[in-house]
Amino acid sequence: MKDVTFGQYYPAKSFVHNMDPRIKILATIAYIVGVFLVTPFHFLGFAACLIFVAVVTAVAKVPFLRVLKSIKAILFIVLFSAVLQIFFNRQGNVLTEFWVIKITDYGLLNAGYITARITLIVLGASLLTLTTSPVELADGIESLMYPLKFIKFPVHEFALIMSIALRFIPTLLGETDRIIKAQKARGANFESGNIFKRAKALIPVLIPLLISSFRRADELADAMDARCYGGSKQRTRYKKLKITYRDIIGAVVVAGLIVGVVFLNKFYVVLAV
Amino acid sequence: MRIEAKNLNYTYSPKAKDFSVRALKNVNLTIEEGDFFAIVGHTGSGKSTFVQHINGLIKVQKGSGELTVGEFDLTDKKCDFKSLRAKTGMVFQYPEYQLFAETVRDDVAFGLKNFFPNLSEKEREEKVKKAIELVGLDYKRIKDRSPFEFSGGQKRRIAIAGVLVSEPEVLILDEPAAGLDPQGKKDFLSLLKKVHGSFVKTIVIVSHDMNLVSEYCNRAAVFSNGGIYKVGSPKEIFSDAAAVEGLGLELPVTAYLENELKKAGVEISSDLTEEDFINNAAKVLIKKGDNA
Amino acid sequence: MPIITAENVNFSYDKKRNVIKNLSLCVNRGEYLAVIGHNGSGKSTLARLFNALILPDSGKITVDGFSSDDKKSLFEIRKRVGVVFQNPDNQLVASIVEDDVAFGPENLGVNRAEIGERIDYALKAVGMENFRKSSPERLSGGQKQRIAIAGVLALKPEVIILDESTAMLDPKGRKEVLSVVKKLNEEEKTTVITVTHYMDEVVFADRVIVLNEGKIAMEGTPEEIFASSDELEKLGLETPLASRIAKKLKEKGVDIKGEIFTEKDLAEALCALKRKI
Repeated sequence: MKDVTFGQYYPAKSFVHNMDPRIKILATIAYIVGVFLVTPFHFLGFAACLIFVAVVTAVAKVPFLRVLKSIKAILFIVLFSAVLQIFFNRQGNVLTEFWVIKITDYGLLNAGYITARITLIVLGASLLTLTTSPVELADGIESLMYPLKFIKFPVHEFALIMSIALRFIPTLLGETDRIIKAQKARGANFESGNIFKRAKALIPVLIPLLISSFRRADELADAMDARCYGGSKQRTRYKKLKITYRDIIGAVVVAGLIVGVVFLNKFYVVLAV
Repeated sequence: MRIEAKNLNYTYSPKAKDFSVRALKNVNLTIEEGDFFAIVGHTGSGKSTFVQHINGLIKVQKGSGELTVGEFDLTDKKCDFKSLRAKTGMVFQYPEYQLFAETVRDDVAFGLKNFFPNLSEKEREEKVKKAIELVGLDYKRIKDRSPFEFSGGQKRRIAIAGVLVSEPEVLILDEPAAGLDPQGKKDFLSLLKKVHGSFVKTIVIVSHDMNLVSEYCNRAAVFSNGGIYKVGSPKEIFSDAAAVEGLGLELPVTAYLENELKKAGVEISSDLTEEDFINNAAKVLIKKGDNA
Repeated sequence: MPIITAENVNFSYDKKRNVIKNLSLCVNRGEYLAVIGHNGSGKSTLARLFNALILPDSGKITVDGFSSDDKKSLFEIRKRVGVVFQNPDNQLVASIVEDDVAFGPENLGVNRAEIGERIDYALKAVGMENFRKSSPERLSGGQKQRIAIAGVLALKPEVIILDESTAMLDPKGRKEVLSVVKKLNEEEKTTVITVTHYMDEVVFADRVIVLNEGKIAMEGTPEEIFASSDELEKLGLETPLASRIAKKLKEKGVDIKGEIFTEKDLAEALCALKRKI
């Protein structure tokens, strides 16, 4: 359990790491919009996005393998939708046919299109979490949510919840590890048996974990109260995010990408149906 | 059961080059049957990693040395860890936080059901009763109550009954007196003294409390940065006061006093238990006083 | 004038059994007060009453002129009395040291520039200024508790209560925390109340209060308290090991002069004996 590097954050000193988390979040959203803007089968637009991902990865000093690994989590979905398209899409010219299955050129293209879309989105999003620590992400989200204050959304409380959750994840992981070991020492077996047996085996872990979480929550609440939580209507924030030249450059590059994608949509050079 | 480690090594996250930590380095250590053995060392010295090897909670890494506990060879892939764990009871720090069942009886019986599923209801009941009475609680009065109703010290006793119930030969305890008040600590240590020899053969205790080590243990090993600095009786371990303090450990009060008196030219040669120290010191200091 | 006064305070968690019974007590400015007692004697409850985390059922607690009766003065009391709790993991709110220390002043609406200054001051006072950007997760127990103390210091309190703050630490961590607190008491004149059952921590105190069943059972200087070792034992406590050894040696006829609280005292007394010979 100690090996868990939470949220896949890859610590390094780079241009991308040093960018303002807000700009990174917005840029990621813009990038995703960019990927969606690629009209069907204009694979040049996807190529531009892929080049963008590769360049950002290199600038961020993140190993390419680390970025590619993020696809592993969605591999099943990608394969599933691709297979569905290849075997069951009936539009377009039939290339080959057997039993109930017809493989069409349109189906193949669509499969490639969907695969490229999902993969590129995941790659881009994973770059955000790889280069931005969970704490920075939380700060960024808090700051971006600030306008919601005007519709009475408890932005500050929400941010505090995120921050405390992040703070306690490693603590609770350590605790889980300890309880599992203690019960293993008493002969508990978590590794064999059918699904029901395994679920039942978790009770001696989950109950102590739950009780200790409540205890921690109680103590934390006391500690927060003791430090005057709620002591002023005008709570201040020490941490302030700052926009620097890096952020402006980053924003310009992403804007450039979107313009590029729209521009490439005009070219029918590739695989027009 | 004899516990024997030869050239034992352990590395956390061996694959991640930047994060890997060598927690054990060539540890050679034998704990004999019947020992009341202490494992001491600064935080992060590898003591917890070592004791968790003994009952297979941490598996010996491939090619990282040998470890045998009685007839169990822990480097063997076919090692029966379930039987091993039944024979090597382990009490973690703050064991009261592992309680989970609805009644004291069910919680104490948990290990028994896991290790010996074929016991009859009656046999199980007998063993649970014996374990609860061993830790000084009244079986009849508490068996059907929730373990969470009790005070911290009592919860700890219930948790320990849940380890003793499978009648282990070796009892391993990690900082067992942490958080107890003086009375609770006294009661707890006398419980350990009571079960040692009569109920469990060997006790291995991980502790920062050097007074406990000198008072109760016959042998000890000092861990430092993953390796073993010294193994021997408390007397042997604490004889070199400067070295012990250099490792970030404190001296037991008796060892400190002997050492200070030695500097002043008075030799008191006790085994560092309180009683022996007082007897010897009285002998030496009064005799000299009479001569004056 | 005392900084904290408690007058006839009663408190119960369940409205059945009083944990604090008709207790009256003054804590003087700049004092180092130790509150001891076995588990369940009410000592932690007293700490929480002093900080207005809980309010007396009857009776009154006054901190620096602010009364616990008045709901509006709640935060004035908490601002003046900081508490460091037992478990270092359960009192840090942020994943970065400086953000955690900032938590208190942020709650009070202190402006940014001043929060920065307070972080500087507090981290320096506990000797953790090099860990400003670290994650508490990577720190030792003693270091975490020092961050917790810094988080309290950032509120500029008059009183710091250590509620068994060293109970979960290793000897090194305990020493770190105790030396920080001693320094604050001596140099900054901060009032310190330590709630503990480690008898060797009581030795530093100016005054000791022994609680039993929610009442003050004994009160005095450490010398006075340790002199009555039998009474302490009846209350489930004990004198430091060195005093106990000294007492037994005396019973054996060894002529030990003076009061013995620490092993150093005893070593000196025994060596003096030798010199006389």
